[in-house]
Amino acid sequence: MENLILIFISTILVNNLVLTYFLGICPFLGVSGKMESALGMGAAVTFVMTLATSISWLIYYLVLKRFGLIFLEYIVFILVIASLVQIVEMFIRKYSKNLYQSLGIYLPLITSNCAILGVALFMVVKDYSFLESIVFGFSGGIGFSLVLAIMAGIREDLEFAQVPSVFKGAPLTLIIAGILALIFMGFSGLGGG
Amino acid sequence: MGQVLAATIIFGSIGLIFSLLLAFLNQKLKVTEDPRTKKILDKLPGLNCGACGFSSCRTYAQAAVKKPEIFQGCRPAGDDTNEKIAKLLGLQKSLKKEKKSILICNCQAEEGEKKITSLYLGIKTCQAAHSTGGALDCLYGCLGLGDCKEACPANAITIKRKKVYINQKKCVLCGKCIRACPRRLFQVIPRQKDKRNYFIACQNKDKLKEVKDVCSRGCITCGLCARVENSPYRIEESLARIDYKRADQIKLLEEGKNKCPTKCIDVIRY
Repeated sequence: MENLILIFISTILVNNLVLTYFLGICPFLGVSGKMESALGMGAAVTFVMTLATSISWLIYYLVLKRFGLIFLEYIVFILVIASLVQIVEMFIRKYSKNLYQSLGIYLPLITSNCAILGVALFMVVKDYSFLESIVFGFSGGIGFSLVLAIMAGIREDLEFAQVPSVFKGAPLTLIIAGILALIFMGFSGLGGG
Repeated sequence: MGQVLAATIIFGSIGLIFSLLLAFLNQKLKVTEDPRTKKILDKLPGLNCGACGFSSCRTYAQAAVKKPEIFQGCRPAGDDTNEKIAKLLGLQKSLKKEKKSILICNCQAEEGEKKITSLYLGIKTCQAAHSTGGALDCLYGCLGLGDCKEACPANAITIKRKKVYINQKKCVLCGKCIRACPRRLFQVIPRQKDKRNYFIACQNKDKLKEVKDVCSRGCITCGLCARVENSPYRIEESLARIDYKRADQIKLLEEGKNKCPTKCIDVIRY
């Protein structure tokens, strides 16, 4: 139990996927303009990430490892993630039209979100058990949403600031991302992390 | 060789399982859309103004296909398009109707008429200027920075010399400008007789001297319009008001208008 809590906290803060490993930068910069879409994206990523890690774990340990085909892990994980995103998209389209319309463009984007593949691969590297990988996937998603929400909050307030025209748009966003990453380095002392 | 074969088989079967699952779910979760929805959507202007009560043109089209009697016409689309859509939905009744109200802006003072003593360099929106009190001496009048123009989906609002002009033909009465204006200057009034729509072009609730100090066209609460015999005008909160229930008494309205010393009773011809 202690182990799970440790994984949960360290994945959100200490080893944050976006700001420590720099995975999933594309949606981090692209979808963080508005708080609403950022939270929607975060929720969708969290869902897919949790599901993808658990199914990847099952396939990796029950199929790939048993037949000695570990070198297939990358391509199989990509396959799993892509299919999962498709399934999630279908479900959302069928049962929640409004959510489908507000997420619309971002949903297929999750397929190419390297943070999700990253979580699946880290889970193998760190030798997690099934329960641990589920917690790992979930907390990875929460960490992703947290950073996205922070970024969206900053960028929404930034609309009212007077920014020198050379810094407007992408440059300032990248500078903020860098400063946020520095801030998150401060967490590295937590939990022996 | 054995490993290659195993890899092919395993990867192939995993792929097959997922593709079968996807194919199955695709059939099971299919969302069919009535082809009429797209046809209606193509005919609608796509302003997403919300005057019909739906959040977007798409949701309106979807709801109308499901329940044709919901369709009460689309204001921005115009009569011809509405007839076409009604035909598509199999509705018999005519949707042609005249506009019964018009939109007005309660400040019609131009640059020069309203006094500006401070230099405003802040964010160029009325919302920001209003919260700092900058850009205009009158605390009630139009700031002229164009929040309403920005909010209007039908491009019906133009601003010249810090005064708002409304194109009544284009206006769809969606009310977005009413919410956008921080000084709440917009108002929807009933359409009056003979294409002469009288309204009070001032919103300043101060008394004579304070009004005179900031604007040459403000309502100074002199009450001359209300003192005409049997006048449809009255004074309320230091402002002249029109009783729109008596809006057909053009003669009395005109008489009151001519009495006004600051010309803050205005007419829109529509």
